[in-house]
Amino acid sequence: MLVTWNYRYRNSLIDHIDPRARFIFSFAVLLAATSTWNPLLLAIIFVISIAWYSSAKLSWQDTKRGWLMISILLFTMIVVNTIITGGGAGGVVPEGGQLVWPEGFNLFGRHMTFGLTVERLWFAVAQLMRILSISLVFIMIPYTMDSRAYGVTFRKLGLPDRLAYTMELSFRFIPTLARNFQVTLDAQRARGFELDSVKGGILSKVRRIAPLIIPVTMNAIVSSEDIANAMDLRGFGQQKRTWLYELKYQWWDYAVIAFAVVLLGVIVYLAYGHGMRLFEVPQWWYGLFS
Amino acid sequence: MYAAIGAALYAVVTWAFNVWQIPGAGNVGIRPAVVIPMFFGIAFGPIVGFITGFVGNILADLLSGYGFWVWWDLGNGIMGLIPGLFSVLITNYKAGRSIFLAEISVVLGVLFGMGLAAISEMWVSGADMNTVIFANFLPAFLTNVLWGLVLLPLLMVAYSAIVSQSGR
Repeated sequence: MLVTWNYRYRNSLIDHIDPRARFIFSFAVLLAATSTWNPLLLAIIFVISIAWYSSAKLSWQDTKRGWLMISILLFTMIVVNTIITGGGAGGVVPEGGQLVWPEGFNLFGRHMTFGLTVERLWFAVAQLMRILSISLVFIMIPYTMDSRAYGVTFRKLGLPDRLAYTMELSFRFIPTLARNFQVTLDAQRARGFELDSVKGGILSKVRRIAPLIIPVTMNAIVSSEDIANAMDLRGFGQQKRTWLYELKYQWWDYAVIAFAVVLLGVIVYLAYGHGMRLFEVPQWWYGLFS
Repeated sequence: MYAAIGAALYAVVTWAFNVWQIPGAGNVGIRPAVVIPMFFGIAFGPIVGFITGFVGNILADLLSGYGFWVWWDLGNGIMGLIPGLFSVLITNYKAGRSIFLAEISVVLGVLFGMGLAAISEMWVSGADMNTVIFANFLPAFLTNVLWGLVLLPLLMVAYSAIVSQSGR
């Protein structure tokens, strides 16, 4: 089994920004987007997120798997829960409102009625902007960040050394464990192990995974003890840890962080200080359905 | 070390079943790997369990190209943390009482872990409680509990053989 990371250097604007600055920016967008339902503020955040995503030079071919997952989420939340059933708008959109089709409509020769309101439809737009803004800044991370950078980035962002080092070490183990997984799978199949069989009930299907999971897990634990002993012998954890991959801020990284902080500050100030936190429908939107 | 191995293992097995698409278990569920943070919690304690789930889920998402979703990563960490809290009560991995306690820890771990992750969608996506329960929580809870309840005792018994053989 060949493990391939999704990252590759594209010489994009994002590639030149320090990973810490990028994480700070992404979390600022997350907090800003979740602090308001005001469509104007969400539209501003949405445009900034699109610009941020575009600067990474990602292709559809690169990211389609991630977007497929996001599409399923969006379909469930917006199409099914907000537009069709109306359940997803509960608590944010007030009850009642102006119907999009007050007289109903004809479909395949039959008269239909549908309780979709103008307010719910606008909420779907706001919800789409909010979820897409967050998705745009977070979905690009695996494709634009070098796997060597995660450990040191989390450490420099203030996470404990052990957690950061665990992450760093995990990256190193993944190819080895993937190979062990493949070898175990092949060995079990050679013994007649039918992982792909669809026979039996739910429990028997679940138990069928055991001959694969158990040897892989036990093998990993046994081999990790050897590595732990080797690390102990070399005095791991006795001194402050240094990192092979060093991070250094440039002036533009400070600019990105300052922009993120200002963006978050302004959105929170407008949302909580100027009553722009709650959901509201602009008059021109009503005009489209009158 | 155990946390690093656990996280890498969780990432690889999740990725293998998600992306590499082993047609395993005839559509029963998609993440048999959830048992790994639970087992590492039971065997090595709450911190190892948490890091295995938290870091492992980050790595699995990175491998799969799904992005970075910290609230679901935390949920996965809790699925390892809570069984880890039970680890002090478990001394003999193949005793009936130990397995019973481990099974309880699976249910509680998935309940709180997936509960936190699903509820966070109310804050992030603006989803209502119905959506959170039926679209986010229940599918994750039911499949993860099923995998945990069936596979964790098998892992514990297998590990007890290793413990007794090596005199750990």
